[in-house]
Amino acid sequence: MQPILTLSGVTKTYASGHQALKSVDLSINKGEIFALLGPNGAGKTTMIGIVCGLVVPSSGTITFDGHDVARDFREARRRIGLVPQELSTDMFEKVISTVRFSRGLFGRRRDDALVEQVLKDLSLWDKRDAKIMELSGGMKRRVLIAKALAHEPDLLFLDEPTAGVDVELRRDMWKLVHRLREAGTTIILTTHYIEEAEEMADRVGVINRGELLLVEEKTALMKKLGKREMDISLVEPMSVVPPELAEWDLTLADEGHKLRYVFDAQAERTGIPSLLRKVSELGIQFKDLDTSKSSLEDIFVDLVHRPEQAA
Amino acid sequence: MNLPGVWAIYRFEMTRFGRTFWGSIVTPVITTALYFIVFGGAIGSRIQEVDGVPYGAFIVPGLVMLSLLTQSLMNASFGIYMPRFAGTIYEVLSAPVAATELILGYVGAAATKSMLIGAIILGTSAFFVDLKIEHPVMMVAFLILTSVAFSLFGFIVGLWAKGFEQLSLVPSLIVTPLTFLGGAFYSIDMLPAPWRTVSLFNPVVYLVSGFRWSFFGRGDVDVAVSLGATLGFLVICTGIVAWMLKTGYRLKA
Ligand SMILES: Nc1ncnc2c1ncn2[C@@H]1O[C@H](COP(=O)(O)OP(=O)(O)OP(=O)(O)O)[C@@H](O)[C@H]1O
Ligand SMILES: [Mg+2]
Repeated sequence: MQPILTLSGVTKTYASGHQALKSVDLSINKGEIFALLGPNGAGKTTMIGIVCGLVVPSSGTITFDGHDVARDFREARRRIGLVPQELSTDMFEKVISTVRFSRGLFGRRRDDALVEQVLKDLSLWDKRDAKIMELSGGMKRRVLIAKALAHEPDLLFLDEPTAGVDVELRRDMWKLVHRLREAGTTIILTTHYIEEAEEMADRVGVINRGELLLVEEKTALMKKLGKREMDISLVEPMSVVPPELAEWDLTLADEGHKLRYVFDAQAERTGIPSLLRKVSELGIQFKDLDTSKSSLEDIFVDLVHRPEQAA
Repeated sequence: MNLPGVWAIYRFEMTRFGRTFWGSIVTPVITTALYFIVFGGAIGSRIQEVDGVPYGAFIVPGLVMLSLLTQSLMNASFGIYMPRFAGTIYEVLSAPVAATELILGYVGAAATKSMLIGAIILGTSAFFVDLKIEHPVMMVAFLILTSVAFSLFGFIVGLWAKGFEQLSLVPSLIVTPLTFLGGAFYSIDMLPAPWRTVSLFNPVVYLVSGFRWSFFGRGDVDVAVSLGATLGFLVICTGIVAWMLKTGYRLKA
């Protein structure tokens, strides 16, 4: 695979003295969807800001398709689009004029047909003459996406595209991302949610406290991280796990009120049906079943504490 | 050169002015009319002539300058401060727009608007007094140079300001007093000796004087000195803006 974007040794220490990025090396392939996964304050927005020219890196170099983004900024920037995390819009502008503005700003000639298409793709065509301040939050986010697409970028950054967005729009967003990928656009998005990375990305990078902990193919990562827990709430609490259930490696939780089973959600056989069969054979009564994914926090704890596996 | 980019910014700014067009026009026209009534009418009946020029006509260049300076400053400082404040500056920063193009767009638009207002005030004045312009080319040159220089100055203020207070501080605390004390409504020759010397440290004196020379062929200081001072101010502001944009001062973290 050919990289379209390469970051090498990129660090950032803000004027406040806070080190937001600690030497990031990352290579993004042409045409892929890359998800940057990390908790609040991990450095996702900082990293995007550095590539897009909003934040000055403390050290390191970034190349976009062979161009140094600092030295050759014109060539790089005219092909990169950014949808920011914050809903920053020109309140008094009309939807259509703000999208035209973006196209011009990025050095492109006016193209009404293209702007119409972009607005239609984002279901904004009916709102084209509305002032931005008259739109709902979800619509404003779509306006920001339309602005970023107006100059037909080859690389698109989506900084938390689904934050504060309802289920329907979230699904639309996922569709849009896949459509863009089909058209050949490389996409880098950030998210707090594993599900979202799972749904959209080809590769996932996990970042925490300014460090890129790992970068992997999504499928491989999901194997590694896709652990689920099943809690069986018991009618009668237990003091030890019955030896007949040893095969499943269960633990007791909630002072013996719950049997906890950890399984691999991606595996062919989860072992759940046989476990449940065995439980009823043994006459153990339960009132509830609950499965949950391991949270992002668990994963970070996992990654940080087992660095040899993360590498 | 990213001409569509410059045009996009310029148009955006001109549209913003367009939204407040009538407000922007009515205010200077009314203010000018009031100045003529108060200064031209009330005071002008006592001061007949200054340097052989009827007092009503004498204050016209100063009046135009006063509006030109404040308008340039306010338009340009708002133009860049607002996107910083609203966060929309992210787009301009991420676009393939070089510092010169950024300046052309924002400062160009601010200067255009203040020149328009300058012309409107000049037009309004013609209703009140007989105006003859001895050096029309130089008059236009001063109009353009001053608008551009003070729009650059406003751009600096808009980049520097951390809040709306600071934004309004510079025009009200520095520019307006300097203009009033800069011979907009009198000749500094009319001042007693020490004040005349003090006035020579006021940069606005040179602007008003040069502008007045282009109308009446006479000014407080030599026209070459005025022109030099105006150009000097322009160069200094350009340098500061260039440095600010190069380092990303208050634009980039
Ligand atoms: N302009 C700034 N000055 C000082 N510190 C900053 C600045 N911007 C961000 N930071 C700090 O840098 C760290 C990384 O911030 P960043 O916005 O990159 O995180 P993030 O991963 O995008 O988080 P979130 O998921 O909350 O958006 C945080 O600790 C933040 O407080
Ligand atoms: Mg962020």
